[in-house]
Formats: sequence, structure tokens, C-alpha cells
Amino acid sequence: MQENLAIASVPMQEWGALYGAEEALRVGTIFQDLNKPFFAADSGKQGVGSGQQKDGGNRMDSGNREPGSEQQQREQMMAKIQETSFALDDVRLYMDTHPDDRQGLAFFKETLAKRKTLLSAYAQQFYPLTVDCSADRYEKDPASECYCWLKGPMPWEGACV
Amino acid sequence: MWIYEKRLQYPVKITKTCPKTAQLIISQYGGPDGELSASMRYLAQRYTMPLKAVGGLLTDIGTEELGHMEIICAMVYQLTKNLTPEEAKTAGFDAYYIDHTTALWPQAAGGVPFTAKEFQSKGDAITDLTEDLAAEQKARTVYENLLRVITDPEVREPLKFLRTREIVHFQRFGEALERTKEKLDARNYYFFNPEFDKQFVEVAK
Repeated sequence: MQENLAIASVPMQEWGALYGAEEALRVGTIFQDLNKPFFAADSGKQGVGSGQQKDGGNRMDSGNREPGSEQQQREQMMAKIQETSFALDDVRLYMDTHPDDRQGLAFFKETLAKRKTLLSAYAQQFYPLTVDCSADRYEKDPASECYCWLKGPMPWEGACV
Repeated sequence: MWIYEKRLQYPVKITKTCPKTAQLIISQYGGPDGELSASMRYLAQRYTMPLKAVGGLLTDIGTEELGHMEIICAMVYQLTKNLTPEEAKTAGFDAYYIDHTTALWPQAAGGVPFTAKEFQSKGDAITDLTEDLAAEQKARTVYENLLRVITDPEVREPLKFLRTREIVHFQRFGEALERTKEKLDARNYYFFNPEFDKQFVEVAK
């Protein structure tokens, strides 16, 4: 990076330590170097909506379901999809500005493969998340009469988080 | 072309109705520094970007912002889903309720409707990327203001996630500006407009 007068400069990020997929989603980035917390983010005590205080954030598999139930399995797999897809979102933006970064590319490829497997398994076991994932269901059961694109809760309902 | 994926980028599961919180958060849907404005800004600017990679970055961030808009809308929806007529009278939400019941409509916390006047698409790569850097900072401040006044952890966790994304996007726009500068003469970045005076800039495809 070259610094000059009268124009903004931001240093190029170098590939560094990553968070695990679960923590990365919670924090908002896979890159430890880009996690810059806000002092009031973890100390809100008074203000609007001060109802129940539940610690630990909204981890996806909220615990009060029967272990091994279909809903619990679905939520666990959805959590994996969310974590893997988010890692892919974040590394993709990095690669957009660092197309020649070999470590970044290796992580991108690895994450892509994981996501593909998860999406396909989710479509077969539960419902397709994209219209292309419907193909995974029909491959498994070509005679299926289910128009499965309508299956599953709408994401904004919070029912399958 | 866009393809819908039937999930949120970050999970939202809010169990407590709170129209007052909804009325504050809706600003990140249709407010001056909201996600709709962010998305429209980046998706509008990308067509004329001289560097293909920067157009690609604007597409990817603009797309992610659409996902953030969906997170914000899901939060507003869940905060008002089981609203009683009595709760609809909550100060700050009562006026919104009269016009929109509990439907989603893009407006700022102060009631100003969403407008394209909140963002620019200027047709100069340096100008637009500098605007994008500022936009991410403005949105970060809004999330911090929200985090100061909202205490429900079910609402705070998605807000903290979204705040971090503003910082990550700032870094990426900064890098996009560096990539653009590399193609220009450092002695005077302003000798011509790299987006309009195309004959002066050799653009790597």
C-alpha cells in the first residue's frame, strides 16, 4: 500500500488466524484480526425491551427439545449450514480483493465442498433450501409427487433457526 | 439474476413482543443508513466500476446486504407478531400501526420513508468507494446506538453480528480502493475520472 496525500488508504489484510465456524457466525467474521468489539455490546443493562435476561445469545439448537427428535436434528443441521455458509460468505469477500491468495483459496474450496454436501443432505432429509436443491430430492426419489419447494417454515418465522 | 435461499444469514428467534424495539430497529430496514439503502447503493454503483473485481465485490456485498435486510425485517416481524391492540398504542409504534398495522414497510426510526436520496451512485470510482467506506461507518454507528438502548439478548445477538459485518465491509471497500489506486498515477489520482475517461486507464479484466 502506498500512502498519498488527499486520498484514503486502508492496508490490505493478510491471511491470518481464523475462528471456528460456530464462533465465526456468533462474532460476525471468520477473521480474528477483524473482530473489533464495541464496549457497550456486552454490558447493556437498562433500556428498551429489558425483559428476560438470558445469557449466551441465541445459539441455534435451543435445548428444550427431545434429543434425537426430527426437529432437533433439523436444527442442528441448519446450524451447520448457517455456519458453513457464513464462512463461505466471509472468505468470498476476502477473495474478491485477494484473488491470488492461496491459503484463502484453499479455505474457499474446502468450505464450498462442505456446504454442497450439507445442502444436499438437508434437502434429502428435510426440505430444499434453494430450488436447485429440489433436484437432490428428486434424484433420491424420482417418482416423488411432492412439490417440495413449499416445504419447511419461512425463515423469518424463527421456527427453524 | 438472484437465487433465493430459504434461511437467514444469521438466525433470529425473538420470543418477546416489543413494538418499541421494533420501531427503533426498523431504521436499519428503511432508514438513511439501513440495509436496503446499502444494498441499492452497491448494486447501483457496480455497473460502471472500471475494475471488474470491484464490480464483483459490490455485487457480493450488495447481495449480502439484501440478506441483512431480511434479518432486520425478521426481527421487526417477530417483535410485533403477537401484538395486542393495547400494545399497538405504544408510543413510537402507534403511528406506524395506523398506517401499516404490523406489516413491513421501509422507513426510518423517525418515520421518514425510504428514499434513494440517502445514497449516491456518482460514476467516479474513487468518489463511490469513499462513499461506501462512509456508509459502512454510518451503519456501524447505528448498530452501536441500538446496542446501547436495547437489552434483550435475543435482539442484541443479531445486532452485534450485523455491526461486525460493517467493519468487515469497510475493510473490503478499503482494499477495493487500494486496487483501484494501483491502476492510477499516484502523483495525481484526480487527473481524470477513471470511470468516465476510460482511455486513460488500463483496466485488468
